[in-house]
Order: sequence, then C-alpha cells, then structure tokens
Amino acid sequence: MNTEVLLAVGYAALLLGGALLLEWLSRHTHNRSQAWRTSGFDYDAQHDFWVCHKGEQLWPTEFDREKRLVRYRAKATVCNACPAKVDCTDSHHGREVTRAVDSWPHSEAGRFHRAIAVMLVVLAVFELAVVLVRNHEPSQIAVLLPLFLLALAVTWWLAVDLIRTPSNFPEAKPAHGNRIGAK
Amino acid sequence: MEEKSARRGFLLSKGWLQAVIIVMLLGFTVLGILAYRTYEDGAPVPVKVLDPQGQLLFDGDDITAGQQVFLHNGLMEYGSVFGHGAYLGPDYTADYLRRSSNIAIAENGGPPVDEDGMELADDPDPGPASDIARQKTINQFRENQFDEESNELTFSQTQTDAFNKLIPYYTRFFSADNTENGLRKEAITDPEDLRNLTAFFAWSAWASAAERPGKDYSYTNNWPPEPRVDNSPTANALVWSAISLVALLGGIGLLFGAFGRYRDLGWHGREQTVVSFRDPSTVALTPGQKSTAWFFFVMAALFVIQCFVGAAVQHYRAELTSFFGFDLAAILPYNLLRTWHVQLSLFWVATSFVAAGIFLAPMIARREPRGQGKLGYFLLVALAVVVFGTLIGSYLGIHGVLEDAATNWFGLQGFEYLDLARLWQVLLVVGLIVWVYMLFRVMRSRLRREHPGNMPWLFFLAACAIPAFYAVGLLARTAEDFTITEFWRFWVVHLWVEDFLEIFTTVMVAYMFVLLGVVREKVALMVILLDIGLYSVGGVVGTMHHLYFSGTPSEHMALGAFFSAIEVVPLTFLTVEAWSFLQLGANQESKSTSDFPHRWAVMFLVAVGFWNFLGAGVFGFLVNLPIVSYFEIGTALTANHAHAAMMGVYGMLAIGLSLFCLRYMIPSKKWPEKWAKVSFWGTNIGLAWMCFATLLPLGIMQLYKSVDDGYFEARQLDFLTDKTTEMLEWMRLPGDVVFIVFGAIPVLYMCFLGVKYTIARRGEDGDGRGEADAELFTVISGTSMEDEPPEISGRPEPTPGT
Repeated sequence: MNTEVLLAVGYAALLLGGALLLEWLSRHTHNRSQAWRTSGFDYDAQHDFWVCHKGEQLWPTEFDREKRLVRYRAKATVCNACPAKVDCTDSHHGREVTRAVDSWPHSEAGRFHRAIAVMLVVLAVFELAVVLVRNHEPSQIAVLLPLFLLALAVTWWLAVDLIRTPSNFPEAKPAHGNRIGAK
Repeated sequence: MEEKSARRGFLLSKGWLQAVIIVMLLGFTVLGILAYRTYEDGAPVPVKVLDPQGQLLFDGDDITAGQQVFLHNGLMEYGSVFGHGAYLGPDYTADYLRRSSNIAIAENGGPPVDEDGMELADDPDPGPASDIARQKTINQFRENQFDEESNELTFSQTQTDAFNKLIPYYTRFFSADNTENGLRKEAITDPEDLRNLTAFFAWSAWASAAERPGKDYSYTNNWPPEPRVDNSPTANALVWSAISLVALLGGIGLLFGAFGRYRDLGWHGREQTVVSFRDPSTVALTPGQKSTAWFFFVMAALFVIQCFVGAAVQHYRAELTSFFGFDLAAILPYNLLRTWHVQLSLFWVATSFVAAGIFLAPMIARREPRGQGKLGYFLLVALAVVVFGTLIGSYLGIHGVLEDAATNWFGLQGFEYLDLARLWQVLLVVGLIVWVYMLFRVMRSRLRREHPGNMPWLFFLAACAIPAFYAVGLLARTAEDFTITEFWRFWVVHLWVEDFLEIFTTVMVAYMFVLLGVVREKVALMVILLDIGLYSVGGVVGTMHHLYFSGTPSEHMALGAFFSAIEVVPLTFLTVEAWSFLQLGANQESKSTSDFPHRWAVMFLVAVGFWNFLGAGVFGFLVNLPIVSYFEIGTALTANHAHAAMMGVYGMLAIGLSLFCLRYMIPSKKWPEKWAKVSFWGTNIGLAWMCFATLLPLGIMQLYKSVDDGYFEARQLDFLTDKTTEMLEWMRLPGDVVFIVFGAIPVLYMCFLGVKYTIARRGEDGDGRGEADAELFTVISGTSMEDEPPEISGRPEPTPGT
C-alpha cells in the first residue's frame, strides 16, 4: 500500500477523533462555566426545580424567549432573611438561577467550538478527497472511500446540528444603540 | 498618616501573595544559578584550533566572526544551528557533522564521498574495513582534545581535512549565482567570511560530538542524532523525559484532585442581578484613549503585512524556485521574508497590548492627566520608527548593503525573534519604559490608595515587567559565545513572551471582566494570583526546555524538562478553568435592559482560551520532552506550536483587545458587527486549517523521517520538496486565503473606522472625567459594588496641568 494513502487514512482518523474529543472537551468546559453560576445549587430534573445549599427550593418563574432560558427563583422572604445572602445575591426578590433549554451547542461559545470540530472533519473529507484523486487504484479506493464516507457523515451530523441550534446571543441593534439603564 | 488610613487593604488572604512571591523568588534564584553555570560550563569556544601538527587552522576570533556572518546575513532565519532557527535550510550543526564525518570515514578507509562530503552510494564494501573506518571516525570525533589550561583545541587529521574540504562546499552553497535554495544570488562571496562561517559550523559540530570532560556525552547532550559519530539520546534525555511525564500526570491528578474538593476554586455562583450595559459610544474618551485609535490602525496594518509576508514565506515551502513563475528570491529572499514575518508577529501584538494598556489605565484610575494624548502620539511615532527602521534595516543587512558594525547597529543582529538591530532594540526598550511611565502617571493616585497586592498594582507591576524582561535580550550580543547568546535569547522568547506577556494579559482580561461586571474583583484577583503562581512554578525554570541541546550543562536539561512538564499542569488546569472563565463573558444570562456591547471582543477571548489549551498546552507538550525534542527540534512540529500559540493566544488576544477599545471609538450606529463576526470566524477557521491541514501532519511526517532515516535527512530540501510534502504544503492554501481575506483585512477595516470616528469626535474631551463617568461600563443595581474602592469618583486628582 502506498505510504501516502496510509498516512492519509491515519491522519483522517486522527482528525475525526480530534473533532469528537474537542466536542466532548468543549462541552465539559462549557458545563464548568455554567456551574460557576449555579455552584452550590442542585437541579432536580424530574420535578424541574433547584435546591440551594441551605435547602431552599427555586421554582420556574419565567421563560426568557430571547435568550432561551428558564429562570428559577427562590422566595424573596426566605432569601432576604438568609445569613448567606451576602455571598449569594444582590437581589431583594429572591435568588435567581437559569437553565438553558436548548441542547449543546446552545451558546455562542459552544458554536465556536462546534465550528472548529466541523472544520476538522471537513478537513478530513478534503484531505481524503485529494489523496483519492492522486491514488485511485481499486485497493486504495477500498481503504480511502469508507473513511471518506464516514467523515462526510460526521460532517453532516455536526454541521446540521450546528445550523439548527441558535446562538442565543442577542442580535446587535445598531439602529438604536444601547441604552443606559436607570440608576 | 491620612494617606495610609485611606488605603484599601488586600482583598484576599495574605497567603496568596506570599505564595506568589516565594514561587517567583525560588524560580529566579534557580535561573540565576543556571545562568552562572552556563558561563562556567557552556560549550567552550577555543582560543585556537590547531591541526595535529600544531599549525593554526582557525582561532576563536574566526569562530566569532563566522557566527556574526551567520547572524548578520539572516541565516538563522533560513536554517539553524543547534536546532534553533528557521526550518527551510538545513541545520548547519547536523549538516557539517554529517559531511565532515563522511569525509573522515572515507579517509579512514570507508566508502568514498563526493566533493560535497556526501556518500556516493550505499557502502559498496560493508566489510570489516568499513566497520573499522567507522569506529575510527567515532573515536576521532568523540575524543575531546580541548585543553582547558591553554584553551586550545586540536583537531584530528581527518577533522582538519574535512574542514579544508568543506570550505569550498559552503562557498559554492552561499555564493551560488542562482536563487534555487531560497537565498539571494551570491549571498556571501567574501572568501574570508566563508572560511569563518565554515569555522563556526565546524565549532558547533565539534561541540555536538566531542565528549564533555569526565562524561560520556557531548556538550550538546549528543545532539544531533548521528550514528556516524555515535550520537544517540543520552541517559539524561530518556530518564528526564520519563520523570517529566510522571510529574505531568501526577501534577494534573494532584491539582484537579485538590481543587476538585473545593468546587470551582471556592467561588460560588453569586448572582449579580440586573446589569445594564452603558452604550460604549456615550462614554467620553480621554486624549490618551483617542490616540490608541492610531495604534490599533498601525497594529492592523502590521498584521496584514505580516500575513502577506507569511504567505510568501509559505510559498517557498510549496514551490521553492519560483513564485508563480517569478523569481521572488532575487528581491525578497526567504530569510528576509521570514525575519519580517517573525518580527512583525511580535510588533503588531505588542502594539495592541501597549494601546490596550493606555486605553484601560484611565478606566481603572478614573482619571487622566493632561498631556497623555501627546505622549501617546509620541510613542506611536517612536514605535513606527522602530518597526519600519527594523524592516528597512533587515532588507539592507540581508542584501549586503550594510556590513559588520553597521549591520549590527542598523541592519539586523539576526537572532531569531531578536533579529532587530541594536539601535532599534535599545529604542524599543526606551519606548516600553515611556509606556510604563504613561501608565504610572495615570494610575499613581489610584496606586497610592491600594494595597500592592490588589489589581491596580498587579496591572502596573505586570506592565513594568514587560520592558524589564525585554531588556534582558540586550545581553545576547553577536560577538558573545553562541551558547550564552542562546541562554539570554530565550529569556525573551520564553520568559518574556510566555510568562510575562501571559501575566500582563491575564491581568488585563480579568480587569476587563471586572469593569464589565462579569466577575467580582475578588474572583478576578484570585484568578490572577493563581495564574501567576502556577505559571511561574514551571514557567520560570521551564525556560530551560529550549536549551536542551545548545551547549549548556545537563542540569539545564534535567530542570528544564521537569519544570516545563510541570508548566503544562497549570496550562491544562488553568486553561480549562480559564477556558470556562473566558466563556463567562460570552454567556450573558442576566436580565439586562441593554445589549452586551462586547460580543466579539469576548468571543476572541473565548478563542484565546481554546488556543491556549491546544496551541500552548497540547502542541507545546508534544515537542517538550527531551526525547521527543531530540529528534523533533527545528521541524514543522515546532512551527505548528509556534503558530497555534503565538497567533492563537496572543494574536487573538490582540484583536480582542482592539475590538474592545474600538467599540468605544466607533458610534453604536456605525459599529461594524458583521465585520467583527467575519474576522472572528476568518482568523479562527484559517488558523485551525493552517495547523491541521499542513503544520501538524507535516511535523509528524518529519519527526517520523528524523527517527527512521536521520535528523540530517529530515532537514534536507530533498525531503521538503518531496511530492507528499508538497501536497501538504499546498493544502494550506484555502486556510491561508480565509485567514487573510476574511480574518486580517476586516480587522484593518474596523481599525480604519476607529481612526475615522475618533477624528470625528475630536471636539470632545474626556480629560479630567468626573463623577458622571465613575461607572464606566456597567450600571449594577443593588449592593454588589461592596468590593469597589471606597472613593472612586469625585474631584480629579490635582496633577500638573490639570
């Protein structure tokens, strides 16, 4: 077997593996980033509420359509009397915690990492295509083509998922500019 | 007394500060000892090199003169010595060693060689005579005939003959009447220069094979790999690679285990309720801040030039002898383009950091004294003089217009990354000192009210470290021993770039997040101190990982390998944390009555987190272990690490900082959101393509070639122009086009808008801003400002001229 074909197959496999690893790792760092906001809170998925480290429950109060978040809030009376409030929230209306409703990659940062992963698999497709053009004996095609099709399928799967998920970043409104909030 | 009582105390426990100070002191003490050891026990440059009959062959001055010919002609930007330099040309240590050992083997009765010192064919008679010839050669090259008393070195007869035969070879190579090697026509023609240059190569090859007194390995720890002189990895290289790997795995486990118990370094998800982002274009700009529009424009122009120059450099690798049919090397030879490419990478990034510092300082201090704008423009002009002086000087130096001392002072010194001429180097240090002074005059009243461990001081001290450590590069002088110059050069290349720029940027980014209301000051301070502490544990002594094979004693390898592996621990840990930390800014979930204005600036910071992990962490560690570096140094894997780390971390950061500042200069109505988005995707996709399409696979192939066939073979033009290699080089093209067209050019356009609208706002004057601008970026309701200093607004500090 031609060395170039073997190298191409090995490297394309490495790119596919790298894309999947990046997908996992970036999801992990994103979850850590999210955990900073909800550190000390446990989510009960079955009943859809959060529990703070003092045992108070936070129930859904609002669905933010623009940012595609569910907002959960604790009772104001409990939070305002809580000794841990100073380290927990500035709000006098009870502590709020949010949860994104869309699956990964539902944020702009998530989309960046997903796009890099897509690029890696696109590169695998491109590289295999170039090597296929240069080496197209039956035995070489038999080795290159399956991986080429697999890379194409992974590209399709990741790219379509990326296109379908919203960035959740409010679009800029250059015509209006931003407004200073009331003091 | 009154001043003292008004000073704000340290926000964290004193242990944080003490730990950082101890780590820094220990690191620099070890580095100081290693500096002493480098002078004491580095590869010696003999006063005289004699033939076996005691006749003078060449002397120490010839070696030094040859080193200067090598540097001043920009050959470190073409090939390398001791593995350090550029990657198109050969490594001249390995090159000379191969050719001279071939000549020696032939003279000792082995296979014959041609006039270039290369074997004519496979050994025609691989019998005992050939084996004896090879063993004799090994003995002749490994026996160290350097007399420490007299400082004289005696070459064997075969080494002497090899030297005399290789002068014509290098003469033919460097004075060739064509550009087929990527150098200009007749690059070096002076016979004395060519003889001295060969003497320099001969010295480096001698140091790479002759055994250190009392040791069974050479001055370069047996580098380069060369079976003809029995150069193979030393026990040190293997053992310290294994120990480093264990230290890395153990360190990561320990650190994650320790911090994992305290849930995210102990900071809880404290909620800041309604955050409202002030429209950036309503924030008054000070004259100093306005001057930065021009800095960013210059930055972007240099960035675009660097990209085009880089594309031309890359084209040499894909098509060596012509640029789409045009003989580019006649005007812009490879080494000239590469020195421009490398120097511009530092210049444009530094320009952005300098400008961002000037821009942020009044926001931190809440004031700006008069004259800051004028100083800003003065600094800009000085910077332009240095940059364009360097570019023109390099051209004149490499084209041979300037010679000797004139080249050194006005042309180029020629050390990779420190190529610029002495005059420009001194002026750059002076310029950076002026910049620190500019920051000081803005911040001094704030500093007076702060504990030295708090963020304003860290910002200022991190800025001070930038000229201080860049100035260390002045110790690398072209007439100094090469081993010593390499030691000091890496204080700049590693310690300055990888440590102190990293620290300064961490402080700046953390400060931006504090000002934006994304994190609280305590959390930011914690991240900064953790960053400084953990990076410095490995990063300071880890500088030595560049010097495994440069003629320094073996303890440099041991400590360099161990500490630089430890350096990867915080890189892994901190960058995963920082990666998460940087994503905080991108995920604005608070209810806000206005939009988050810094979307793309923050997205560039998210990219910094990603590239720091991949480019510095993963690709850096890939080439870090001594045993890997032994076969890899000077190959495309190094270029892969350099591009992903330099552009990925510092380049993205420089663009992110410029967008952050430009957002205040360009009115919201005119803000080019679309171009910011295009440049973000263009730079990131282009860079990722560049690394993954070409640099990484080519590096892996070259490493394989080096281990399998030999290091000499892996660095030859034959390999670089091989068909598969050529295909890989061409595969970069789509990524490079995306990077330049969609990445770099939109940045230039946005910076142009910054200048345009700053000129339009000339009438406004934010100097001496008062209470109305106390909260510069965000209006945070509730009581979340308890960490802010007690007095942040009011009457501006009385300063001369205010």
